[in-house]
Amino acid sequence: MVSVTDRPVSPSGHRTDPAPLLSIKGLHTSVRSRGESFDVVRGLSLDVYPNEVLCLVGESGCGKSITALSVMGLLPDPPVRIREGEILFHGQDLVALGNKQMRDIRADSISMIFQDPLTSLDPVFTVGEVMVEVIRAHRDMNKSDARNLAGETLAKVGLPDPITRLDSYPHQLSGGMRQRVMIAMALVLDPEILIADEPTTALDVTVQAQILDQLLTEQRERNMAMLLITHDLAVVASIADRVAVMYSGEIVEQATVDELFENPRHPYTQGLLRALPKVSTVRQQLDPIPGLVPYLQFLPPGCSFAPRCPHALDRCWEEPPELVPDQEGRVFRCFNPQDFTER
Amino acid sequence: MKRVLARTVYMVIVLALSSVAVFYAIRLSGGDAVAARVPASASAEDREAVREQLGLNDPFHEQYFDYIGSLVSGDLGNSLTNNAQIGSMLTEHGRNSLILGAAAFILVFGVGIPLGMLASLRRNSWWDGGIMTFSVAGMAVPNFWLALLAVWLFATQLGWLPSAGCCSPKQLVLPAVVLAMEGLALTVRMTRSAMLENLNQDFVRTLRSGGLSEVKVIGRHVFRNALVPIVSLAGLRIGQIVGYALVVETIFGWPGLGQVLVNAVLRRDYPVAQFFSLVLVTIVLLSNWLADVGYSVVNPRLRRG
Repeated sequence: MVSVTDRPVSPSGHRTDPAPLLSIKGLHTSVRSRGESFDVVRGLSLDVYPNEVLCLVGESGCGKSITALSVMGLLPDPPVRIREGEILFHGQDLVALGNKQMRDIRADSISMIFQDPLTSLDPVFTVGEVMVEVIRAHRDMNKSDARNLAGETLAKVGLPDPITRLDSYPHQLSGGMRQRVMIAMALVLDPEILIADEPTTALDVTVQAQILDQLLTEQRERNMAMLLITHDLAVVASIADRVAVMYSGEIVEQATVDELFENPRHPYTQGLLRALPKVSTVRQQLDPIPGLVPYLQFLPPGCSFAPRCPHALDRCWEEPPELVPDQEGRVFRCFNPQDFTER
Repeated sequence: MKRVLARTVYMVIVLALSSVAVFYAIRLSGGDAVAARVPASASAEDREAVREQLGLNDPFHEQYFDYIGSLVSGDLGNSLTNNAQIGSMLTEHGRNSLILGAAAFILVFGVGIPLGMLASLRRNSWWDGGIMTFSVAGMAVPNFWLALLAVWLFATQLGWLPSAGCCSPKQLVLPAVVLAMEGLALTVRMTRSAMLENLNQDFVRTLRSGGLSEVKVIGRHVFRNALVPIVSLAGLRIGQIVGYALVVETIFGWPGLGQVLVNAVLRRDYPVAQFFSLVLVTIVLLSNWLADVGYSVVNPRLRRG
């Protein structure tokens, strides 16, 4: 387990590292549906610093995956496209890049792994064939060298019997093995950033822990930044350095993992933490957040969380709160923050 | 391997059963085989003598085993009408049919697959609309009518192509297109839907995230996945070509196996009709067997894990 104190982090949770590796600025990603267009990511800004594990948390449909796909340039366009904003990587705006240049960045500099490792692997090609193809799309390497590199990477990510597995088809592997293959495929070119979109959601609980462990090991050994997308706060607690909480297409709170779990400021984050089952308490019932996620087509004029918020003021219904830092330096989006009480 | 063996055994069983069916069907269909052999003025006694000589008075099952026995020993027999050797008929007409069948096969897959891919990649465009309209028309129009229409337009009206005959390239065009049309239309539709289905699969996103070019992602990966259903039904397409060849060869006067078979059946030329029916059955079975083997080649999920 990597603790946040291993790395230079200011007390406020803002990194002292000179520059972010990846900087998303004012990202608006919109979906077109039945002639109408609406934003599913609404002005999101997020920095990913070298060597950190940043978790993007939120419930289904809040725009986490769309944010990740925006970075990768893999939005299903049409109907989803980036309407506005910049995604800076080494000072270069990925949104403005051409297809060819974007292809060169994928897997080589920024890699991504996906949720369901069965459907995410091509069923009619062997693991080795696809990995060799990915390597050779980026490196001037002959097939047998590429195959060796693929085998080495599979071994590194803990796939048993890696050389034989090069000739396996996805259906011949278990869920955990498939996810290791996905990880190997994403890491084979030693990227600077790994985006992992719910990498353990489709796996057994025991396998989940192994895969998370593997991801963390790789992240440390390769000095790579990792943007982990999840809805699972247990995963966040065990792996993250920093956390960004998303709600209805925007970030509502961003803090170091310790700060966030100790003293969440935004009512949505507080609600998420209260909804977690706890072993220590005798209480039987969980504490869900009342209400439903708003439709992004019909957002209220004020704070998007206001309809579900127990502490909403009149002002919350009228104007959307900005993302502002508090005295400790972390940021959240709320006019009326309350102290966190466990239930 | 086990699967291939099982399919082979299955094929032999079906062939044996169809030989019985063919043998009985032609004998039970009425008409007189002797009529083809003797002059119309021949007396009843003469006819009876010929019938006895040909063994047609024996019980059916004895005739059947005699026939199968001589087939197995390599004696294909002779035509009742003109005494022509069935073996040489097979090589001569078989060659013509092979030319026509191969041309149709190339049209069905060589044109059908690219058209289907084009429609899927230009989804909802004019290309897609045009190709799909053509495909629906191709499936809906019966081939005998299409043949007449094509002859009227390209031979009679425009004079571009000959209306019948064998076997110059120009003479091949019309029968090959007519023979291929339905299979071509079906292949277009199937390729399009298989491509579209696979274009939306998660693995496509993974391959793109690996930085592969669209040419590789679509041309190699999506296409290979789309090939699975296409290959699995390739046997049916070939069967269709074989079956329709009877009609198309007759209309265009293409001297192939189909035409020989149709004539033999009409004249109750038992040995010829039997043999060529079995040849067609064998071709259909073989092509299904090949498609089956091909299916497990293109679909690794069928191989043992």
